Amino acid sequence: MVEGDVRIEVYLPRALREYSEGKDWIELRAATLADAVTQLNARFPGLGYRLLDDQGKMRRYVLVFVNEDSVAHLAPDAVRLRDGDVVHILPSVAGG
Amino acid sequence: MVDVKKGETIVLVGTRKGLFLFHSRDRKRWHTRGPYFEGETIRHAVLDPRNGKTIYAGVTSEHWGPVVMHSKNFGGKWVHGEEGPRFSKESGISVTRIWQIQHGADDDLYVGVEPAGLFHSDDRGETWRSVDGLNYRSDRKDWQPGGGGLCLHSILPYSGDPKRMLVAISASGVFGTNDGGTTWRSMNGGVRKYSEDAVFVDNVAESCPHKLVRDTRDPSIVYMQNHTGVYRRKRGDAAWTAIEKGLSSTFGFPMAAHPHKAETLYAVPLEGDFNRVTPGGAMAVYRTTNSGQRWARLHRGLPQKNAWFTVLRDAMRTDDADPAGVYVGTTTGQLYYSRNEGDSWQLLADHLPQVQSVEAGTVGGR
Repeated sequence: MVEGDVRIEVYLPRALREYSEGKDWIELRAATLADAVTQLNARFPGLGYRLLDDQGKMRRYVLVFVNEDSVAHLAPDAVRLRDGDVVHILPSVAGG
Repeated sequence: MVDVKKGETIVLVGTRKGLFLFHSRDRKRWHTRGPYFEGETIRHAVLDPRNGKTIYAGVTSEHWGPVVMHSKNFGGKWVHGEEGPRFSKESGISVTRIWQIQHGADDDLYVGVEPAGLFHSDDRGETWRSVDGLNYRSDRKDWQPGGGGLCLHSILPYSGDPKRMLVAISASGVFGTNDGGTTWRSMNGGVRKYSEDAVFVDNVAESCPHKLVRDTRDPSIVYMQNHTGVYRRKRGDAAWTAIEKGLSSTFGFPMAAHPHKAETLYAVPLEGDFNRVTPGGAMAVYRTTNSGQRWARLHRGLPQKNAWFTVLRDAMRTDDADPAGVYVGTTTGQLYYSRNEGDSWQLLADHLPQVQSVEAGTVGGR
């Protein structure tokens, strides 16, 4: 495996599957969470906008787990991914 | 689902939980579509007046951000641009809600957002460009939010000159441009301060406009429901003039212009900023036919007891029929309407989610 050839899986919640042709699991090669979002947006235009605010941070009520670690509060380009990681994107339990 | 046909009246109702469409051939028997965007807030949706067919909806998801969606078949299919409106990285702020969608003087679109900002699209909402001359004014640091947030909620293009526009921001006031958005002037002169014994001045970004509308026949005249009163201003005037004679209260949110008649508009006074409900639990819409010199109370068919609700700033509009229809949505989920310019009223729909906005027009244009 060459450096940067990091294979991950991303889980998309139901609300975002209108962008992914109904797919819930997406396989990507991405070394950081920011890379993963960029690639998701390249495959599914508009998806990146739904995840990142104007400052490039994850939106306030978006949860992101890498395996079992919550990382949504971190800068996406600071979240390094390893081969085989599983990224879950979920809506937080909020609203009324 | 009943087909939407050319020539029908269509009413778009944005609510706290989705978008509802009502359409009718005779404005007596109505058909319903939706809700679309279930669970998400629609602060504003409009029918493109140029073709009477395309609907644009400002959809705010608290989780996934705000987007402008559009449909060319009355909700059968909704599509969106790749990017919504975004502030610059340097600004340090992010768009959280779409408050207003407005067609420009040319074949273009504007949106007003929260935190307050104006964005322009010349490709029907595919991409958006910040109107930097307004969004990054040096006095932005002094802009204060109202109870609904720091939002740009009124956008008034000028049909005779695409370089002219007025916008209103709660609670930073009215701004106008004469040069296509490069520079903006704050226009709050004459508006009472909250203590009532003093007035704001122009060129200072303060005051809390609730809704701004243009006179249908004379676009040089604008009317404003403000936190501190109801006002009129004609281009060239040095200040706003209060026009409140006959109103039960000077406080309210919505304002709507008659689609054909000059100097004719509608308002819905509430008890006051201390109690934002229909006065005495009796609902009434007020109409002036002389540019606000005198207002008359319209209530025939509206509930006159135990009606305690608010009508939000975008929840009243007219259609473009003759005689004109007037549509009013409430925070308790009723949609009242009149097909005789406000003389009498009926219930069009009940038990809707909290109504955020109402727009009405003719399918295929008039």
